[in-house]
Amino acid sequence: MDSSWKLTEAQLREWLQSLLDANSVIAPVEEDGVLLFRRIASEDQAVVEPSGKTRWSPKEFLFPRSEALYRYNFRGGTVQLEDPPMPEEHQVLFGVRSCDASGLVRLDEIFLSGTRDRLYAARRENTTVVSTACAAAEPECFCTAVGYSPVGEEGSDVQLVPLDGGWMLRPLTDKGRELVGDATDGWSAATAKDGKRIAEIERTVAAQIERSPVNREWSRVLEEGFEHGAWDRLAQHCLGCSVCAYVCPSCSCFDMNHQANAWCGEQCRSWDACTFPLFTHHASGHNPRKTKQERYRQRVLHKFAFREGDDEPFRCVGCGRCVALCPAGLDIVNTVAAAVEAIREEGADAAR
Amino acid sequence: MPLAEAVSNPYQPSLVRIQDYSDETPDVRTLRLQFVDDDEAGAFAGWEPGQFGQFTVFGAGESVFALANAPWRQNGGKGNAPTIECTFRMVGKVTSALRAMSKGQVIGFRGPYGNHFPIDDWKGKDLVFIGGGIGMAALRSAMLDVINRKSEFGEVVILNGARSVADMVYTDEMPGWQEVDGVRVVRTVDPGGETENWDGQVGLLPNVFESLGLDPKNRIVIACGPPIMLHYLFLSLGKVGYSPDQVVTTLENKMKCGIGHCGRCYVGPFSVCRDGPVVTWAELNQLPKDY
Repeated sequence: MDSSWKLTEAQLREWLQSLLDANSVIAPVEEDGVLLFRRIASEDQAVVEPSGKTRWSPKEFLFPRSEALYRYNFRGGTVQLEDPPMPEEHQVLFGVRSCDASGLVRLDEIFLSGTRDRLYAARRENTTVVSTACAAAEPECFCTAVGYSPVGEEGSDVQLVPLDGGWMLRPLTDKGRELVGDATDGWSAATAKDGKRIAEIERTVAAQIERSPVNREWSRVLEEGFEHGAWDRLAQHCLGCSVCAYVCPSCSCFDMNHQANAWCGEQCRSWDACTFPLFTHHASGHNPRKTKQERYRQRVLHKFAFREGDDEPFRCVGCGRCVALCPAGLDIVNTVAAAVEAIREEGADAAR
Repeated sequence: MPLAEAVSNPYQPSLVRIQDYSDETPDVRTLRLQFVDDDEAGAFAGWEPGQFGQFTVFGAGESVFALANAPWRQNGGKGNAPTIECTFRMVGKVTSALRAMSKGQVIGFRGPYGNHFPIDDWKGKDLVFIGGGIGMAALRSAMLDVINRKSEFGEVVILNGARSVADMVYTDEMPGWQEVDGVRVVRTVDPGGETENWDGQVGLLPNVFESLGLDPKNRIVIACGPPIMLHYLFLSLGKVGYSPDQVVTTLENKMKCGIGHCGRCYVGPFSVCRDGPVVTWAELNQLPKDY
């Protein structure tokens, strides 16, 4: 059994400050009224209380919006290749919500499977995640409807749980224990009563999320009804702006391009989205997903269908950012429910 | 957690030099490439027919082409430097830049990627290769491998179709294939694409295939071409009595990373670059219509 600690807010801030000695610390910071993950220089910049989630997930600290995969110089009649520097700095992602921490694990499943992504692997290895359990749900939140939890431990090395007038700090992994180290001098051990707070929070927050659960068996219904005409209606309002994919903690699609001048260049990777028309556009002009209906369906189904088995988690972690920020008011949970209802009522092949 | 240092950069290509090229049509060229670095050439393990590579024009970008020559296999001996061939059509930014390059210039290559044709499973069977236009490029490695080992296979029919006579690829090589005992080459162009001197067939590939009247028994069909051709070809194959597991094709989706990460080539749960590109018609029927 891991030991847990009970900290006052002052003690927590003191610990956060001490983390800056050996780490780059990334924490929620308020900028022009918007909460964003930023590298902090001192603890007082960080917003520690769980008052709303950051606008963007912390994924960019492992999977940057754009980065060089390798560089090259034109020399004589040939080309000289150069590896980009390996990310070596140790970083702490502080105050990550449970949903976002799970999002990082969904990214791991892409970037660390098969041929490993070297830059991602280096950053992942050098990253320790300190998550914060949610004391309250925001209107767009729906983690419990898609199989996740406001107190979920997945992807967390240390978990912070809000208590009345303080925090419980729970190291969950070796990495987390290492980060805590001997900082525990002067901290009091958490009691069984504090431990019960976790289940209380889960109940309270779950009760605040007024969304019907997405059933795991629906994956198969969505796959069977792939060509169902309901998608025309469901995607009608999609503008194709792809904000949903950019703010999503688990969306991992990227583009690769060359940026070069007469002397040198680099192959650059940048975030991309399956909701853009050129994403699947062949050089020949053929496009398997030429309509927004097909593209929107791909995004929804990649989160909620095409899973190996019922045990495999959904790739949507329920943070709700795509719901809150969609300019057309699209709601992925409602879309899934409506698609499943239409497919069940009208049959898998209706109207196509 | 894996040690990142132990992982090599999957995106950094090897440098290869354009040793030679031949122009197949006004916009299709076949390149012959050799590794610049002897060590990289020595470490290269070769490929299996059906696999593909990522080819970089430095300054312009990367494109995916099938590895088009017969499989090269390492035998440890000197003087056995691998030659990589690819056939591409000039159609976009990268392929236009590649087309503008001359002999001796250096491009990037990474690969091989993807699965391959199950050629060893075809031993003793009659084979039909059906290529539409540049689709022939994806078949060439397998065709040349089969022709080189012809005694292991039954009758081989190669059906090469193009929009017009000028668009037909591998015209210089086809007579050589035809010379091998038990290999028959049928050339066809779409109606309207023929010239006065054209001595091949005129007709759409699926129709020409049907008119050959080949018995489906103990036969494998390997087909590559544009989606519209494959659609009608599969209808013909079904009509003539081929079962979906007798038919092999390749999915040619837009790809970028080549290692199943960038998300671009997904067909449902199937990542074309990692799980494909070679699929049977039976496997294709299990996937959502998203290709």
